[in-house]
Amino acid sequence: MRSVADRAAGLLAPEAIRLDARAAGRDDAVRLCGQVLVDIGAAEPGYIDAMLDRERSISTYLGEGVAIPHGTNEGRDLIRRDALAFVRFPEGADWNGEPVTVCIAIAARGDGHMEILAELAQALMDPDKARELREADDPDRILALLDPRAEEEHTTDPLQTGQGHTV
Amino acid sequence: MPERTVIIGSAQGLHARPAKIFVHRAAQQPVPVSIRAGDRAPVPASSILGVLSLGAAQGTEVVLSADGDGADAVLDELAELLAGDLDAEEPDHV
Repeated sequence: MRSVADRAAGLLAPEAIRLDARAAGRDDAVRLCGQVLVDIGAAEPGYIDAMLDRERSISTYLGEGVAIPHGTNEGRDLIRRDALAFVRFPEGADWNGEPVTVCIAIAARGDGHMEILAELAQALMDPDKARELREADDPDRILALLDPRAEEEHTTDPLQTGQGHTV
Repeated sequence: MPERTVIIGSAQGLHARPAKIFVHRAAQQPVPVSIRAGDRAPVPASSILGVLSLGAAQGTEVVLSADGDGADAVLDELAELLAGDLDAEEPDHV
């Protein structure tokens, strides 16, 4: 059985990862995230407005400097396929007073949406993982952080295999 | 420790607005409240990350627990909230 983590990682393509973005504020950041989903063919341009609507109705700020912008239920028709985008703002984006450095934008039509959210929330509850998501320089590392199975295969760095677990 | 088992009533499950309303209400209580689903460890009901990590959809069974003065009344209030249609409620504060 494929775990939720597998699904979350499968939904995040390397070309949907931006590590060095800049935004003037929340709306600007949401537009940027939405544009990535549009650029990779996951959503129609109108989905960006649905994301802004959702954000104005209820903030998607999660804590740990992370927000998860996504569209309203009404905006689901504008999704072409389920996908994630990972956009990082090293200088931070002002999210109603909260500094956001990581946005994980979600396009999901069905119930997959909640499972992805749950998986992300579990990852972020681990402060070390959350910090790595904010700081990792390598897109492969971001993919690995969101996919525990890939992380086990990622054994090239001795510092990160200090736990000595065997696969 | 007093517990309440409750079935999530909200059509969109315990995320977005329903999760925020629940977390906000849980944080206002005089005693700490935990929530768990399935076999996973309980998380604080006042943590949005914790509550989202449950992945509780409509119909998911969750268990609330709390200890201390007034715990039973607190659990009754929160259980009623979760069983109802939170999508239809307006939050006190967003």
